[in-house]
Amino acid sequence: MLKINNLNATIDNKSILKGFSLNINPGEVHAIMGPNGSGKSTLSNILSGKKGYETSGEILFEGKDLFELETEERAHKGIFLAFQYPLEIPGVNTNIFLKTSLNAIRKARGEKELDAIEFLKLVKEKSKDLKFDEDKLNRQLNVGFSGGEKKKNEILQMSLLAPKLSILDETDSGLDIDALKIVADGVNTLRDKKNSFLIITHYQRLLDYIKPDFVHVLMNGKIVKSGGPDLAIELENKGYENFN
Amino acid sequence: MKEQLQKDFNNIIKDFSLSQKDIEIKKFFLDNFINRGFPNKKEEDWKFSDLNQIIRKNIGELSFYSDYKSTNKVDTSIFVDGLEHNKIVFINGRIEKIDFDYEKKDQIEIIDQSETINEFNNNSLSDLNNAFTNKSFKILVKEGYQLAKPLIVYHTTNTKIWSKNINLRLDFELNKNSSLRIVDLFNDTSEKNFLNIFYNFELKENAILKNYKIDKFENKNIKYSFNNIDQEKNSISETFILSSGSNFVKNEINCNLKGKYSSAFVNGILSLNNDKHHEIRSIINHLTENTKSYQLIKSVLENSSKAAYQGKIFVNSKAQKTDGYQLSKAILLNKDSEFNAKPELEIYADDVKCSHGSASGSLNEDSIFYLMSRGLSYQQSRELLINGFLLDVVEKITDSEIKNLIKNLIGIKE
Repeated sequence: MLKINNLNATIDNKSILKGFSLNINPGEVHAIMGPNGSGKSTLSNILSGKKGYETSGEILFEGKDLFELETEERAHKGIFLAFQYPLEIPGVNTNIFLKTSLNAIRKARGEKELDAIEFLKLVKEKSKDLKFDEDKLNRQLNVGFSGGEKKKNEILQMSLLAPKLSILDETDSGLDIDALKIVADGVNTLRDKKNSFLIITHYQRLLDYIKPDFVHVLMNGKIVKSGGPDLAIELENKGYENFN
Repeated sequence: MKEQLQKDFNNIIKDFSLSQKDIEIKKFFLDNFINRGFPNKKEEDWKFSDLNQIIRKNIGELSFYSDYKSTNKVDTSIFVDGLEHNKIVFINGRIEKIDFDYEKKDQIEIIDQSETINEFNNNSLSDLNNAFTNKSFKILVKEGYQLAKPLIVYHTTNTKIWSKNINLRLDFELNKNSSLRIVDLFNDTSEKNFLNIFYNFELKENAILKNYKIDKFENKNIKYSFNNIDQEKNSISETFILSSGSNFVKNEINCNLKGKYSSAFVNGILSLNNDKHHEIRSIINHLTENTKSYQLIKSVLENSSKAAYQGKIFVNSKAQKTDGYQLSKAILLNKDSEFNAKPELEIYADDVKCSHGSASGSLNEDSIFYLMSRGLSYQQSRELLINGFLLDVVEKITDSEIKNLIKNLIGIKE
């Protein structure tokens, strides 16, 4: 599904990713762990098409060169990034945003756009599953939401848009244990033979609830070690320093 | 310009049966205007908008003679649908229709006041207006009467326009406990004209005025609009300005809070593209204790457009417990767009609460990335963010019918 070969990325003349390679097949869950500044967020930004990076190397998504696609086209093709810091958008009603987003993606997929009633039914159902406060849907997008509510809102968007590849950028940071379980449930519900996940995290904690197929250690811009779920536990015990 | 002014003025004198006294007064204002000319950037109030140059560049030589004898056909297709309203229709500066069909006839007086002239401010445009407005009306709302429906004033110009400059004037007297909602709707198909509009409002005790000025439709005209609002005890004035369609507009609001507990609200949107240049100038005079003013102005500027906001809060020594607030925010969508803000606080009382703020910047690229990562196009994301930015100004409109009208005009969806 996703093939990254020898990806290099620099921003403001600072080299962040240095020969990063990764292969994700349909249905797989990959976790990337790494210390601050190792390039985790840069990776998720580049995958979703954020501007400002100088890049070389190759990223193929379902065989297509990702660099040829704009941010919204990547979303249309089924790439979703749950933001580490979801943005507050004043004056934009959450429901209107969600409906605009869902219909943009449905349209791109050649599916019928949902009318207001169909949409509300769906969003209420999904909110209930995620224990996301329905009143928030009528508020301005993320404005005045707590950290946990913002993260849940990301997972709500993920479950509405049903992407093929979901990238979770430190979604677990700032979450209490209840919220963490809800977020994990959201991921596990979407998990099947076709959908893949790339989970970026500092800690092993989230991986207790979302069992990854592969764990990679990202240090200084590239993967220094890959393994199974046990690698996460090993990391937690030994710390990153021993992988240098 | 002087010869043209004299010539057109003599034509008016010749064509209309004005009293000798009237002619003398008008002549006085004409001479004043001839002496002073159009305001230019040397005057502090006009430093961001040199009207003299703007007129020269956009129009060239002006003519001032308005043909008030021949009537214009009222094009009813311009009337707002789905909102019952009273109407005043100006076509090319001539008043063609005054209709208060929805109101009790004995509660409103329409007074032909072409023979009385008030001085407004020290601005040469009021001289011009006084010299050339030869027919104006005063709308008087009687004590305790609250109009059932809003009044829409249609400011229409078309290609049959007679002179390059149009001056018009309306006066309103809102007596005790009365209320009036006015929407000024500009609709221009003429090109390169200068409209010089003066409104004077007298708000008696407990009177409520809501004035919504909507210049939304694209046109090449130059406009100056001046509102003078005198407010007595407990009266409220709410002014909302949507400034967008014309090549140049300067809206000036001069508000005198003369009575205790009177309050003034001035909110506005400057949404400009291309080479448009608009300004809002407000002066709120707090002249007695316990008065309140609130102003929120937001600008969205594209291409080489230019906007300015000069907001002054004046508090005299008697005006203790004044509460004055103003904030302006601007989004510049291009590097060559320009926003100027000049907030002024002039305070002579010691127990007051006054604040002002001004901020300008570009659209947040991270927000655009966030929205695009959810499948929205760049254009959709931009529109959503701009509408979101403007929403809180629109939400300040206290009249829900007119709020919806304006939301539809701007394209804000709910």
